[in-house]
Amino acid sequence: MTTDITVQLDRVSKSFGDFTAVKELSVAARAGRVFGLLGPNGAGKTTTIRMIVNITAPDTGTIRLFGTRIDAAIQDRIGYLPEERGLYRRMKIADQLRFFAQLKNLRGEVIEKRIDEWLARVKLPEWKNKRSMELSKGMQQKIQFLTAVLHDPDLLILDEPFSGLDPINVELMKEIVLDLKRAGKTIIFSTHQMEVAERICDDICLLNHSQKVLAGSLREIKSSFGRNSVAVRCEGGDGVLEDPALVSKLVRHADEAQALLAQGADAQVLLRRLIDSGARIGKFEMVEPSLNDIFITKVTEHA
Amino acid sequence: MTKFLAILKREYIQRVRSKMFILSTILLPAVLALFGIVPAVVLSIDAGGPMRVAVMDQTGKIYARLDEALANDEQPAGPAEQLRTGPQMPDRTFLFEQVPAVGSDADAQRAQLDMRLRNRQIDGYLILPSDFMQQGKAEFFNNNPGDVISGGVLRRALNRAVREQRLIEAKVDSETRQALFQPVELKSVDLGAPGEEREGNSIFILVFGVGFVMYLAILMYGQIILGAVIEEKETRIAEILFSSVKPFTLMMGKLVGVSLVALTQLAIWGAAFSGFALYGVSVLASRGVNFSVPGVPFTHYVYFVLFFLLGYFIYATIYALVGSMVTTPQEGGQLAMPIILILVVSFYLFLPVSRSPDSSFSFWVSMIPFSAPVAMTVRIVTQTPPFWQIALSLLIGFGTVIGIMWIASRIYRVGMLMYGKRASIPEALRWARQA
Repeated sequence: MTTDITVQLDRVSKSFGDFTAVKELSVAARAGRVFGLLGPNGAGKTTTIRMIVNITAPDTGTIRLFGTRIDAAIQDRIGYLPEERGLYRRMKIADQLRFFAQLKNLRGEVIEKRIDEWLARVKLPEWKNKRSMELSKGMQQKIQFLTAVLHDPDLLILDEPFSGLDPINVELMKEIVLDLKRAGKTIIFSTHQMEVAERICDDICLLNHSQKVLAGSLREIKSSFGRNSVAVRCEGGDGVLEDPALVSKLVRHADEAQALLAQGADAQVLLRRLIDSGARIGKFEMVEPSLNDIFITKVTEHA
Repeated sequence: MTKFLAILKREYIQRVRSKMFILSTILLPAVLALFGIVPAVVLSIDAGGPMRVAVMDQTGKIYARLDEALANDEQPAGPAEQLRTGPQMPDRTFLFEQVPAVGSDADAQRAQLDMRLRNRQIDGYLILPSDFMQQGKAEFFNNNPGDVISGGVLRRALNRAVREQRLIEAKVDSETRQALFQPVELKSVDLGAPGEEREGNSIFILVFGVGFVMYLAILMYGQIILGAVIEEKETRIAEILFSSVKPFTLMMGKLVGVSLVALTQLAIWGAAFSGFALYGVSVLASRGVNFSVPGVPFTHYVYFVLFFLLGYFIYATIYALVGSMVTTPQEGGQLAMPIILILVVSFYLFLPVSRSPDSSFSFWVSMIPFSAPVAMTVRIVTQTPPFWQIALSLLIGFGTVIGIMWIASRIYRVGMLMYGKRASIPEALRWARQA
């Protein structure tokens, strides 16, 4: 880690024919942190990632990795888990992992050692000599993850890494990702699931319609939005929560509701109105807005 | 380079280990052995023993000659003749018996022969009418008109017997007669470099063989190359690969890997064929037939190998190019049809080129990469062109291979980003530019 910034995009654009996939994007992923590239499907996340890993070149703008322009040597320092996953169906797991490691210029005994270590880490050591077609989808996904980390990359790029995994495996993978971060690796994490991103990202960049909507440290972004959201558990008082002058958005969960305060509305006024309406209040707490709320607010602002 | 080798190795080992490869490698020589050896063995089985033939010789002169001619017939003229007649006939196919024809009534004799034929005391009878020497018409009655082999042998023997008899009657002495029957041997000799003689025929077969093996290899392995190129698109592995290697490295690794599989298989088959051939030659040699390996200079063998490789790679890369444009092997198969057409046409160019190897037509077709492999091989064995022409042809050819692979890898890279879409030709061209 010579520089603080691992990946730097400067006014990067890419279009396919008439379709603009990424427009004037400038972001930076800092070393030793988890950078979330967020946005709905089709926002340009995958295209951005493909440009970072040098699968496609940007039409305009520059991308710098580890302080220099991308070349073959730098590609070897990247680990990439694409959204479209695949393994050679008839190849044994160990052969497969060895092959992908060799493509990253990893050589010799160290490969065998890492294969065993990592298979143990994802709890699949007994599958070492099985063909990948014999594995379940979730297992294949973990193997695929190993192909991205086996060569100990300094930059790890994960495109929707948790989709299709059960909760136990999501926890396992999350732990591994956070361990890698602690080991000083930079992680770029792409997802459209805001709740997932909220739990592991340090920095985020929100994309919508090929453009950056918001970027920065997750904590700062959240605090800049202020505590303008209220978690409420109450009986009755329905009409009050639906008042657009007070609440701009209401999300009901099983036994509580999350109300995003309307611009200029005061939580104290809302509380008083609820009491006045005769509602019995079990919980009334000022909370940070969820990333999802922030995203929706920003996107509707832009529209 | 290490990445290229990793891809090549994977491609090679995965394929060579596959059951398909092992089976086909073993099966082909086995099947050929079956078809080559079994019929020969079966044909040499003579189920019925010698054919018993009664001969009613109304001319009174032919019978003695016939027996003699038949004995001669069993030693054919030269190796070529011997090969054409196929497996050796058993030593004595016919057992003749003379039936007196003079004096007794011919019709009664025939009725008696018919009876013997029906009772299977004889297998056939031959009637040589008294005007046989002039008309040359004889009748052969037998139970099995389907036995073409015996019929043919009998006809040849009769021919010889009659000719011999006519010569005797023309008072030609036995020495002259022998000289007259001495078969000719046509040996096509080409004046190459001074002091060097080459046998045209076997060389031509050699060229034909080089072309034919090339043709077979392309037909067999083209489709496999196409499949190999598509494999990563179908399994979605391409994206990971491209985050590690250049598309060109990937394509070259695949091309060379699959080609080495092809060469491995061909080498095994080649060894098996040589084994059979050596066995065959030794069997023929034991029967007095001699074969000689065509006297071709060593450099020509080097050229054969180089142009074989060139031809193989030129067409293999077109299959790779097709693979880069399509998403399934089925689509690729359709698109590959024109390739086979070009291949067939360029294969048949060996005819005009061998007739005038020095013409400007021959020069140009031996420079165009798609026809060069066959055309140049023909030119080399007929009238070896100057070295610079051979070198230029190879240079253009292998340059084209690299060029096609470069284009294919660019199309592949863009095509991969658009899953499930087959490229039209203009689209493919645009992709090649924009990648």
